[in-house]
Amino acid sequence: MKPWSLLLVLLVALPLVVGVVNLPPHDAPDAPIHTGVGVRYLARGVEETGNKNLVTAVLLNYRGFDTFFEVVVIFTALAAVLALPRGSAADPGGAPAAAAKAANGSDIVPVSPVVSYVVRLMAPFMAMFALAMLFRGHVTPGGGFQAAAVFAAIFIALGLVLGPTRVAELVPDDWRPWLQGAAPLAFALIAAIGWRLTGAFLGFPTDDHTAQEAMGLFLEVGIALGGGVILARLFVEMET
Amino acid sequence: MLLFGLDLDYVLVVVLFCVGLYMLVSKSNLLKKLLGLNVMETAVFAFIVTSGMIEGGDPPILVAGTAAPYASPIPQAMVLTGIVVAVSVTAVALALIVQIHAHFGTIEVDELKELP
Repeated sequence: MKPWSLLLVLLVALPLVVGVVNLPPHDAPDAPIHTGVGVRYLARGVEETGNKNLVTAVLLNYRGFDTFFEVVVIFTALAAVLALPRGSAADPGGAPAAAAKAANGSDIVPVSPVVSYVVRLMAPFMAMFALAMLFRGHVTPGGGFQAAAVFAAIFIALGLVLGPTRVAELVPDDWRPWLQGAAPLAFALIAAIGWRLTGAFLGFPTDDHTAQEAMGLFLEVGIALGGGVILARLFVEMET
Repeated sequence: MLLFGLDLDYVLVVVLFCVGLYMLVSKSNLLKKLLGLNVMETAVFAFIVTSGMIEGGDPPILVAGTAAPYASPIPQAMVLTGIVVAVSVTAVALALIVQIHAHFGTIEVDELKELP
């Protein structure tokens, strides 16, 4: 243990505590967060966006640019991980590489039949849960990113019991780049459509609730597909 | 909830942040450093979400059965963005750590420093 690290932590903690002391109590109704623009979102959000879940409304409508470049960030993360050189070729016969080879070879622990059965039994129900979160995300807790996390969890769990190659077969090779880029592509398409309809980039037509809901749902589907495939691929990349 | 005039929730967030920072600076294992970074991120998310809460409030989903006051939706949407960025950072860092282990056979910073 290094004594200076404790000192550094105390030096950082002091201003943080001083800052926190001067904040209004976190659940006070008159705190600035409850008197700013959030009031308007709560008052007119449903009417303006058609989303009863106002978190989704803020995410897709009011702060759509944020979410657009957020999906670009996770897409870029996958691109960065895929761009790294593969494997341990640079270490010819080092001790850790040899140990890793042994672990991947004969000493691999077989998957328990109980775990395998339960995962395969639960997978359809997990998929149903993810779809419910995806398509009911505008009126109930949930949404595209949450569904993406559950989709990725299904892929990862199935990959662990069936082997990654059998799960990878579920996604055809020529679809893979399109699915990995699904979220930014969906946003770009909706942004263009919004431009055409309202004259504003990523604009939503406030007077046409059907169009609005369809555009929102398309974005959510794009986020869920793209995010799920990206998260699962990131996991597979860590393994190999 | 107040403790000696301090908002207990905010103070706990600061404690969590400092735990993460301590892990980040005192451990020499890169994986543990990354875990510390994630603990710090969690503290920040907890801080932002906590700041949007309101006394006796419902979640900001305007359906039958809920009534004002509602928690502010903005911090929750911001944190969702933050979580995705945190996942991206973690993924890239993990991939780099895997590469470091493959090339040098260790992920301890003090051992990496001694390498020729």
